[in-house]
Amino acid sequence: MLYRTTGQFKTSYAADHALFPVRQDAVLMVIVLLFAWVIFPLTANEFVFQALLIPVLIYSLAALGLNILTGYAGQLSLGTGAFMGVGAYACYKLITIFPEMNLLVAIAISGLFSTAVGVAFGIPSLRIKGFYLAIATLAAQFFLVWLFEKWAWLYNYNASGAIQVPNMDMFGIRVAGPTASSMVQYYFVLFVVCVVTYFAINITRGRIGRMWKAVRDMDIAAELVGINLLKAKLIAFAVSSYIVGVSGALFVFLWRGAAEPNLFDIPLSFRVLFIAIIGGLGSILGNYLGAILIVALPVILNIIPEVFGLDINAATIEHLNIMIVGTLIIGVLIIEPHGLARFWAIIREKLIIWPFPH
Amino acid sequence: MKKRFRSVVFGTAICLGSALAVPPAFAEDTIYAPNLAYRTGPFAATGIPLMNGQRDYIMMLNARDGGVNGVKIEYDECETGYSTEKGVECYEKTKSSAVVTQPWSTGITLQVLPKTNVDQIPILAPGYGFSPMSNGKVFQWAFNPPASYWDGASMMLNYVSDGDLSTLGGKKIALLHLDHPFGKEPIPLFEAMAEEHGFEFLPIPVGLKEMQNQSAQWLQIRRENPDYVLMWGWGAMNAGALSEAVKTRYPMDQFIGIWWAGHDDDLKTVGERGKGYKSISWSVPVNDAPVMADIKKHVVDAGDSLIDNPEDMNTVFYQRGILISMFLVEGIKAAQEHFGTKVVTPEQLRWGLANLNIDDAKIAELGMTGMLAPFSTSCDNHTGHADAWILQWDGTKFAPASDRISADRGVIEPLEQAKAMEYADANAPWPINEECS
Repeated sequence: MLYRTTGQFKTSYAADHALFPVRQDAVLMVIVLLFAWVIFPLTANEFVFQALLIPVLIYSLAALGLNILTGYAGQLSLGTGAFMGVGAYACYKLITIFPEMNLLVAIAISGLFSTAVGVAFGIPSLRIKGFYLAIATLAAQFFLVWLFEKWAWLYNYNASGAIQVPNMDMFGIRVAGPTASSMVQYYFVLFVVCVVTYFAINITRGRIGRMWKAVRDMDIAAELVGINLLKAKLIAFAVSSYIVGVSGALFVFLWRGAAEPNLFDIPLSFRVLFIAIIGGLGSILGNYLGAILIVALPVILNIIPEVFGLDINAATIEHLNIMIVGTLIIGVLIIEPHGLARFWAIIREKLIIWPFPH
Repeated sequence: MKKRFRSVVFGTAICLGSALAVPPAFAEDTIYAPNLAYRTGPFAATGIPLMNGQRDYIMMLNARDGGVNGVKIEYDECETGYSTEKGVECYEKTKSSAVVTQPWSTGITLQVLPKTNVDQIPILAPGYGFSPMSNGKVFQWAFNPPASYWDGASMMLNYVSDGDLSTLGGKKIALLHLDHPFGKEPIPLFEAMAEEHGFEFLPIPVGLKEMQNQSAQWLQIRRENPDYVLMWGWGAMNAGALSEAVKTRYPMDQFIGIWWAGHDDDLKTVGERGKGYKSISWSVPVNDAPVMADIKKHVVDAGDSLIDNPEDMNTVFYQRGILISMFLVEGIKAAQEHFGTKVVTPEQLRWGLANLNIDDAKIAELGMTGMLAPFSTSCDNHTGHADAWILQWDGTKFAPASDRISADRGVIEPLEQAKAMEYADANAPWPINEECS
């Protein structure tokens, strides 16, 4: 009833190819955007911005980048954290060399550095597949983090080896650095995430996206129908690394404010990979759902005992938290191995045929 | 299926509800002092005794005196697992009602340091953090009493040279350090000192992933055969280094750790074979000090402590935790007296921490005679630069093995000044307090 699609006739190809052919989807999207752009910023306090909203968006973006490579093009990568690091360090060097540069431009350019590194490490993907490719990307992970530690030029020879975000203005508004307001940072991140997501949806449902899916499902068959495998895979690596690099720059500049090399180490790669897997490989929506589960849920679980006035030891809460989130992840993957996005797809399907299920 | 949907909807509703809930307000007559503790994760073994000491001192004051001048201190922990990300989350969560931030990691300190100017909340980082924080003009909200890492490095050099640094000429000193902001802290000072006094300085980094397997580093030490190995280690790295030192038969009495590398439990794993290992320390365990008796009586025997065994009170780290809470409480007391209020604000506490006067009489009054050296802070000196001792492991416990050692402030101060200004420039516009004389 809520999701009745009867009566929504498409009379032109353009209408049939619309981003949301079903009207209810579009309405739902508008509601989500309304929450993201108006209601959350109006109600959130500093803690909600810094611990929930901004990280969820940034992690979703990183997972989106990985999902294009792994979920759409079928190339498993374990180097996401390091590629985020490339974006972050590139952005840091750009804004320290050219202090007048607009932060948005710097972030857009820093994605290109990540693209170059990603493509370089993607070249072997034509020859090595599956787990072996994962190992090659793992090499990228270790090599790049080692480089972040040893190449002092990257962090401007800072004694602590960490990079720090200076105060930066854009059109007279402080957008990054310690004195920037959380709301401005949130809107900045939200803007970038919305733009990238829009492009990602359109790439993945267009010609290139179909090419990737063909390669993912069976690369020999894809080659036989005339798809250039090397090109398809390298485009996937390029687009994916670009998005991951942008998310890395946002990660440091709009959220953390400072970073040391080991921040980009393998736990970060795994975290992003888990978000993509739990959210659902080969879906855009899944990245957001996955990030909410992995990033936001532990924070919320941490404050629940306090809200209900329970006096539990902080370490015990942390242990409980790890257990609950772990159980949930296993539970979700048992009930629905295709991730949360598939979960939503089932709900939507049921709603469409409700109240007369077959 | 339908049931599952309902539970999903219900779960989402709960999540949303609690996400928008505001952290609870605290009663008017208490002072909220959170601690960004780490009782979980790879550094938990070193964190737990420190946190227990901090907690028990405050519990003791609340039980014995009813708080500080009649105001109870609400000690609360926010678990970080030593993760910078969780640390910042904890900072954001607690900052609205807290009088102080105790970040407990150099990484978290670096992260929150620039924010404190905006949020106007003091950082208390005793014996860790960024050494130039000592400059109170630049770092108006940060305090690292009683000694900074650069003080520690200078004291170690003074100790190995018997107070005459010129004797170090031609010697070789290795620094085994964690490859992390914390471990890199003393390098600028060592480099400056090496240039001035003509000794060879050899930094040997230990990556976070190599903490437990330092065979490569110790192979290098064996090959280079330095006259002294100084260690900036933490958590699992210390035990790893000690067992490798035993294996390579490096002379233990030429092996000196910073104060965080003097943890009883790390040494217990090597026991007798670690005999002779030294650690510079601004705190000395005095098991029969009056304050220890009070804690035993009011907290441990009353069953309010988190320690399992009263024997655990006799460790370096537990007693150092007590001193750390003492700095905070003395800061609160100073602020209460100066401003004539009971419940101090973060702004007032900043004044209190900048006017700590821990002299011998005060130490005796607190029942801590012998546990630390006297020091005082001021508007432009946020560290105090107290003296320290060398503690030596005798096979079962740490015992002082030297007189009080001072740092060469004349060498450190210009370096602190330069680095502090560098930091301020990199983070411009950065407020500088010119009122300090």
